Amino acid sequence: MDDQHLTGLIRRAQGGDVACFAELLDLHYDTIYRFAWKWCGHRTNAEDIAQQSCIKLARTLAQFRFQAAFTSWLYQLVIRCAQDWQRAQQRHEHDALPETEPTADDARTEDHIYLVQLLEQLDELGEGMKETALLVHAEGLSHAEAGQILGVSESTISWRVHAIRKHMNKREALMSGGV
Amino acid sequence: MKAQSCEYQLRHTVPPTPDPEARLRARRAALLEFERVHVQKDESSAAAESRAKKPARRRFPSSNTWLAGMASACLAVVAVSVVWLLPPQQRQVPLRVPVAIDLEFISEVTPQAARLPEPAPASTPVSQPPPEQKKPAPGIARVKPAPARVQEPPPEPQPIDPASLEKDQATAAEEVVVSATRVQQRILESASPLVVVETAKKRRNASESEPSNTSLEEVAVTGSRRSSRVRDWFARRASAPSSPPPGAYKEEGRDKFQHFETNPVKRVADDAVSTFSVDVDTASYSFVRRQLNAGTMPQADAVRVEEMINYFDYAWPVPESREEPFKPTVTVSDSPWGAGKKLIHIGIKGYELPAREQPDVNLVLLLDVSGSMNSPDKLPLAQRSMALLLDSLKPTDTVAIVVYAGAAGQVLPPTPVAEKDTILQALNALRPGGSTAGAAGIKLAYELAEKSFRKEGVNRILLATDGDFNVGITDTNELKSFVSREREKGVYLSVLGFGQGNYRDEMSQALAQNGNGVAAYIDTLSEAKKVLVQEATASLFTIAKDVKLQIEFNPATVAEYRLVGYETRALNREDFNNDKVDAGDVGSGHKVTAIYEITPVGSKAQLIDESRYAAREGASADRRGKANEYGFLKIRYKLPKAFRSRLLQQPILMDAGVPAALEKDVEFSTAVAGFAQLLRGGQYTGPLRFEDVMAQAEDALGADPHGYRAEFLELVRKAQRARGM
Repeated sequence: MDDQHLTGLIRRAQGGDVACFAELLDLHYDTIYRFAWKWCGHRTNAEDIAQQSCIKLARTLAQFRFQAAFTSWLYQLVIRCAQDWQRAQQRHEHDALPETEPTADDARTEDHIYLVQLLEQLDELGEGMKETALLVHAEGLSHAEAGQILGVSESTISWRVHAIRKHMNKREALMSGGV
Repeated sequence: MKAQSCEYQLRHTVPPTPDPEARLRARRAALLEFERVHVQKDESSAAAESRAKKPARRRFPSSNTWLAGMASACLAVVAVSVVWLLPPQQRQVPLRVPVAIDLEFISEVTPQAARLPEPAPASTPVSQPPPEQKKPAPGIARVKPAPARVQEPPPEPQPIDPASLEKDQATAAEEVVVSATRVQQRILESASPLVVVETAKKRRNASESEPSNTSLEEVAVTGSRRSSRVRDWFARRASAPSSPPPGAYKEEGRDKFQHFETNPVKRVADDAVSTFSVDVDTASYSFVRRQLNAGTMPQADAVRVEEMINYFDYAWPVPESREEPFKPTVTVSDSPWGAGKKLIHIGIKGYELPAREQPDVNLVLLLDVSGSMNSPDKLPLAQRSMALLLDSLKPTDTVAIVVYAGAAGQVLPPTPVAEKDTILQALNALRPGGSTAGAAGIKLAYELAEKSFRKEGVNRILLATDGDFNVGITDTNELKSFVSREREKGVYLSVLGFGQGNYRDEMSQALAQNGNGVAAYIDTLSEAKKVLVQEATASLFTIAKDVKLQIEFNPATVAEYRLVGYETRALNREDFNNDKVDAGDVGSGHKVTAIYEITPVGSKAQLIDESRYAAREGASADRRGKANEYGFLKIRYKLPKAFRSRLLQQPILMDAGVPAALEKDVEFSTAVAGFAQLLRGGQYTGPLRFEDVMAQAEDALGADPHGYRAEFLELVRKAQRARGM
């Protein structure tokens, strides 16, 4: 899709055109969902986050000022929704949610397990690390773009990417040494 | 497992395809939200437009929207009635509708719902909407296009063919007959959210004639697998169109107001000097509005005339610098309440701090989360009000949250507003429960405020409560003195009142007055906006404290006078020059208006007979020199950090008149004063009737950018009706 079409779509949606907003949603739901899934590694949770993101998009689209790429703005929104979702989740830990994937696809299971472990480690590394890794590695954004989305400098992103790599290498060495 | 690199894994792990249903749910929810946002926007602009022309009575939507609205309303009727036709056992199923609500706000706010029992098998009044829910009232035309339609939006908005609508209904009806289960299914999938939205719409419509006291319209209904807690909450919400949901805390008739007598007419010969403290509060107006919106006349003690007057913005001239925080404007006009009488308006508008001059703010939110706050117009409204306030703060300002209920506790340490998300999270996580220990909460709040004290900034506690301090220090005086001791240390207190039935106005007023703060009563979200966003600077930044007014009337020209309102703010004559005596404060941009009604010498309107024996006044040479003055106005105030007061003074000239630019403001404030006095019994307003107030106010609407004056007209009309009953 070309930028012009997207821009027109956004502008008309901002003006209240519901058809344009629906098209915008349809165009980006996959991106949103994919990111949410990689963020939490859980399908139904990802669907929840994606839904919250869609609602938030409806609410805040008017605030998009075309100062950054729409997708960057969207990532920002999804990240915020995901974080909010997680906080809400932590407060309701007693309200147990199904832990298992109902339809775990066998072919993907190994990858999936690894991803979940990876996400856990990234979470432990500190705030912003997981988001950085996702934006840079999963979404293939530049350090500058990721920095813009996360509201930190480019060099911070570079440092984080480096720190993550260092940590993963160390961990791998430890594990292979330990076995 | 031999690990691929982190990078590789992140890039190449493929997410399972999303459930198409989940996708649809998200889409539907987002579209509903989109509609809601835009309908709201349209409504507010339409309202502004129609106000610009003439006070709005009724607005008709375009025929398209209207038709579509009717369609969705009909669908809603079908859907709801079907649900309630089913036996209770089955009824549980539709209730377990994957209806869920915007997590951000609702599920966090309504923990009580989680504790409610599951809908019991047989009769379940808790979750059963009252009968009026089943049928949207016929008069309600303004409903939005059916969301079900929106789901597959046509590329161009098309007029909806009424015939096809009928077909839709027919199909729906058929299905009812054919298979209950299928209909149920259908309801689950499409109609349920629709019902809610209709309810919300209805509420919004109704709010023109009823108090809109909850946030139902904010509810984004979405489909999701989310849990019973939300569902129960939802059921409770949906069944509460304009009153707190069943099971929520509700009390009536325990609102407490300080009793006071209306200021009498005084003879200048006996007492020529009138002294009072300013009052910038507006709580009384909101409370009165709420009562009138509910169709009842407010009790006389709830009506403080000056607070009604000061609710509105008047264009009193503003001073140029902070050094001179305000300058008084004095006008003289004829009184509409008695022939031959005159009104003297004294208007003050505080200097408005430009944004760059605004000091840092160290704010501690103190929220009552006791069980009594469990009502949509209490804690949830308070939470959302506070969230609004964050928008008016600078990123470097700090906010802390303390709650009090059975025990007081710190919820959030002082946090810079830059971390708004953190603050919102903490705020939204609050839930009502337990009894109230107001005193302990206040102490903790002051401790926090002192911990993060900003010497050059503003240190303030914002207390949100329904006024129910029933555990701990219950002695009003003890609390008051505690608050005023803290005031000396530089930590101020403002009070936001919520809810009704058990509202303790007296306590709120007492605390705010002793804490150099304002007391406001929040009945709706728009009131919260007015107080916390539009007037945020006024509520936060004091530009002058201990502001006292004193007028000495000239016995040669004035026979009698009466101060309209300010009964609870009266000061002794000797207090005026005593800097130790506390008085009201004026915030940045605050307006204060005081009105005196006077009877000039020689007027037939004089109420009190001349004394037979007292020496005739007005003959001395000394007074003759000032024969063109009605009196002399003196104002004392202190700059925020000062301990010594300053004095402003000016004569009140008989020919002061009313500058053309202020005519409407003088007239409107007079109308409000007249209305307030009528509500208090109209002891001194002669033949004045509500109709006269209305005519006068209508005449003086002016620009009315926020529609507050138009709303006032509406209130007068309601008072007229309420009295008629």
